[in-house]
Amino acid sequence: MSTILRTLRNLRRIGFKEYGHQMQLTRSCSHLGDTKAGTLIATDKYGNKYYENMEEELPLRTRWVDYKNPDFDPTQIEPGWHAWISYMIDAPPTADKILQTGIRKWELPEHRPNQTLSRAAYKPYSTVRPKVSAWTPVAAQR
Amino acid sequence: MLPLLKSHIPRRLGARPQLIPSFPHSYQSASFSSSVIKSASALEPHGRPSQSLTASGKVRKEVPLPSEEKKEGAMQYVLTTLDQVANWARQSSLWPMTFGLACCAVEMMHLSTPRYDQDRLGIIFRASPRQSDVMIVAGTLTNKMAPALRQVYDQMPDPRWVISMGSCANGGGYYHYSYSVVRGCDRIVPVDVYVPGCPPTSEALMYGIFQLQKKMRQTRITRMWYRR
Repeated sequence: MSTILRTLRNLRRIGFKEYGHQMQLTRSCSHLGDTKAGTLIATDKYGNKYYENMEEELPLRTRWVDYKNPDFDPTQIEPGWHAWISYMIDAPPTADKILQTGIRKWELPEHRPNQTLSRAAYKPYSTVRPKVSAWTPVAAQR
Repeated sequence: MLPLLKSHIPRRLGARPQLIPSFPHSYQSASFSSSVIKSASALEPHGRPSQSLTASGKVRKEVPLPSEEKKEGAMQYVLTTLDQVANWARQSSLWPMTFGLACCAVEMMHLSTPRYDQDRLGIIFRASPRQSDVMIVAGTLTNKMAPALRQVYDQMPDPRWVISMGSCANGGGYYHYSYSVVRGCDRIVPVDVYVPGCPPTSEALMYGIFQLQKKMRQTRITRMWYRR
């Protein structure tokens, strides 16, 4: 719920520059169309910034991410941070005990976001033997 | 198209930069999606050699993706700006035609409830195909329903998109071998986004809608018209 007073209070805390940045994120209308103030928890290695404000925000709106990429996508969040932002763990993944095991052998060494609409997009192909056998016409010499 | 433009367009239009931005500069970069940005560049793996061969041994022929095209010349700037305006308007008010056929429709309804709150994205369900932009095919499409689906799709005005939701609509799913089920609604209508799952969660459907918006952002409307 946003009120004028809340917006003004958060605007005073974060300043006009950050306010403009947060409103700009409404572009693909998936994120912060809201003025939010919180503590910066960490920046991951892609440059996404993770914020938290456990006291004032409503439940399930207390953690949010400021994407590095303007063409952002929720799959750009790494698995550990995904667990954090969807409230599976309390501490950020850098401090959480379960996530300290590191990358196992069978895991991908680096996180890959959704590759749709890029060169690496998934392209299905059939591995089934075709049920129709094509006929190549042969014309006899006259 | 680009060499053509370079030769005669700048003379005709007068390639002064004052003519081009009909919008304030910050406005353009702020709220409109530019369809020309290199998408996900920070996260994509780089450094692939350009002269590599394909798996079948042929020379790779790289066609630039819509997101990779660069603006050259005044006309390109005008057209891309027009495209951004049109795409912004399109993606910000998606009115879906609800084609709820089975249990996926319940998840589609959850998208409109306060937890996921599709209204904040400008998505309002319409009951009439003549008022809607996107059709969400949610559920098993039976043979009996297929003509109705096609008719509803034909009644939608252009531009129109289709989201296929759930494995039944994607490819028959559980009922793939049934005698009465269409094996995928893409046999009836062209599909833009496939949302996997049985049923997909509301979040998955919302993510599919975001992907559709991303696709819309890269549509070259006036550029394709100009090329014709």
